[in-house]
Amino acid sequence: MRSPVASTAPAAVAGPAAPRGDARRDTAEQTGGMLLEQPLHAADVPWQVVVWNDPVNLMSYVAWVFRRHFGLDAGTAEQRMMQVHTDGRAVLADGNREVMERHAEAMHEYGLWATVERVPR
Amino acid sequence: MRVSAASAAQAADGVLGTVRVEVEEARILASLADQLQALLADALETGAERDGALGRLLPDAYRHEPELADEWRQLSRRGLVDRKIGFARTLSTALAPIAAASTATDVALTEAEALDWVRGVGDLRLVIAERMGIIVDGDEGTFAEPGLRDVYDWMAWLQDSLVRLLEESDDARRAQEAR
Repeated sequence: MRSPVASTAPAAVAGPAAPRGDARRDTAEQTGGMLLEQPLHAADVPWQVVVWNDPVNLMSYVAWVFRRHFGLDAGTAEQRMMQVHTDGRAVLADGNREVMERHAEAMHEYGLWATVERVPR
Repeated sequence: MRVSAASAAQAADGVLGTVRVEVEEARILASLADQLQALLADALETGAERDGALGRLLPDAYRHEPELADEWRQLSRRGLVDRKIGFARTLSTALAPIAAASTATDVALTEAEALDWVRGVGDLRLVIAERMGIIVDGDEGTFAEPGLRDVYDWMAWLQDSLVRLLEESDDARRAQEAR
């Protein structure tokens, strides 16, 4: 299940090698026909960090970690924690891969099971 | 064991709260924290995949991209393991003197120490759960040694108490900032 965070994310592109179509042609015309090769950098592809349910961590602890690390208000943290508990997973953030990896590392530091994945199209 | 919020005088010194620790509790927790440090140090030497408990302490950051998972592990594992060893060491350092004492002792925790405790205790629960065979929600544990389940539940209570202590402190800080 996708969370509200994911659904408000900008639409993902297919991958690093995705053609940019009209955008590139427009750019080429604007620069006097000079072809600007601007392959989309991997860091621009939207990624998300997912926290998975586990049978060990306390619900109170998980909600507190979400508040503390992601700066969520109490209600949102509680809702996201319940999503992990009932759906088995919840998306906590999206953005570039490097930032998502830092979130995952922080979650592991708190003992939560978190992974990074591409935002589904 | 009893966890209480700091007095006004303690709070002024940066103390979040105190934990009253019985000698026997200190012995158990200090011993477990020492074992956790050894397990984590071992993870750096041998790689984490061999031990199920280490899989819970240090999960992969990618499920379907083995190359990214490897790359991430190479970049982050050492730092993560060092920090987790540090959490367990904070527990050992505070508890070893109590384990050797003859009466219950109050341990005053700063915020930094409480953060180490709450995470160190959480890591210990992950390891014990794996040893007990707790796989899904509601599992009672199949391979529980007598007493291990009690220790596991006792640490849940301790962690929950520490979370409340930290939450109150976070709330107080937010109220201060909003003013």
